[in-house]
Amino acid sequence: MHMVTSLLSTDDLLQARALVEASGLHFEPPYDDLVGIFQAGRLVAVGARQGRVLKMLVVAPAHQGGTLLDEVVTELVGRGFQAGVGSFFVFTSPAQATSFEALNFSLLVSSGKTALLEYGDGLRRYLARHQRQVVPGVNGAVVANCNPFTLGHRYLVERAASSVDHLYLFIVREERSLFPFDARFRMASEGTCDLKNVTLLDTSSYAISSITFPTYFLKNGDPGGAIQMELDLLLFATRIAPHFHIKKRFIGSEPLCRTTADYNAAMHGILPPQGIEVQEIERKSAIGSAISASRVRELLAHGQLEGIAELVPVSTLDFLLSSEGIKIWDKGGVK
Amino acid sequence: MKIVKKVQAGTMQSSDLMVFLEPAEILTVTIESTVLKQFGELIRSKVDQVLALHGIEAGEVRITDRGALDYAIEARLETAILRATEG
Repeated sequence: MHMVTSLLSTDDLLQARALVEASGLHFEPPYDDLVGIFQAGRLVAVGARQGRVLKMLVVAPAHQGGTLLDEVVTELVGRGFQAGVGSFFVFTSPAQATSFEALNFSLLVSSGKTALLEYGDGLRRYLARHQRQVVPGVNGAVVANCNPFTLGHRYLVERAASSVDHLYLFIVREERSLFPFDARFRMASEGTCDLKNVTLLDTSSYAISSITFPTYFLKNGDPGGAIQMELDLLLFATRIAPHFHIKKRFIGSEPLCRTTADYNAAMHGILPPQGIEVQEIERKSAIGSAISASRVRELLAHGQLEGIAELVPVSTLDFLLSSEGIKIWDKGGVK
Repeated sequence: MKIVKKVQAGTMQSSDLMVFLEPAEILTVTIESTVLKQFGELIRSKVDQVLALHGIEAGEVRITDRGALDYAIEARLETAILRATEG
């Protein structure tokens, strides 16, 4: 057994960077924990945890084949668990996936040069938690952020629901949006409550999350996003869709946002070979241009409340004008 | 005894296991193991026996095993229980 320690000093960090870069990876802050193992004053193993993701896991070539990786991962998982994380993810090459499987990581999805593995059984627990919502039939899915829920979402969901037995509306779980998940879920739920064959679910970490698809939240058209989109979509197609009998995924046409437009294009390429039909529905328009949640947010930011009533259902408007709603969009008082 | 806090014991090394305990209303035990097919039932019965010995009737118990022998399972689980139940 070796001593696994936090890497904090300037010299620790220099050694960590050198070890990580020598292996061909990038030294990528930020992280919540950075730990390593020293032998005779030299750093021989390193690893970091950022939220639920383990990264920069490197053992010096001369020290491979022993237990150093196990010890670094043990330390990171133990600390992460204490920090409240239940499931851990690691991205690696498909060739290295087996060394993590030996540590009880399970392979979620693998594509080309990248494999995503999970430790902690989170996907199975997520699916088990939603077992009661599984409905037989030919079902469909819409994945949306609903930030906030608009008449555009309503139109997409209504059209989609009318062409399948049951429609699952997955609300993006990640807290990276103006409106918190609870509020987005509630707006979507109230805005669709009259549609009997629609069930709302949260996407958890397994679809459009900062794990499967971090660049969705960055919106900069990063080329690295293509690999993530593929992993995200394959994970949906191979692990989530079969569980809920989902055979169709519905998307709104995307004239406005580049990342979402790329994601839609990737969907047409990846989902059909996995047996999932992709159906693009023309966006609903109001006052001449497509309704989008970003337009609603822009109007809110400028305090132009009049225009919003034409873009959102009454239930969303009620929420936006409630004291809880105002607190969310009217940061720091009147603009 | 009652699980009152979230704890972990053990390591991810070969012939060892990681034990995670969390407070919960009901008792759930999940076991992942690299030798689940061959020894899953033996591991489970050992775990049940140690839980019963300490009167653990509720909590979330998660175990990831890499072929630990039964005395290792007993020691790791017992350590976790003692950590999880102390006030």
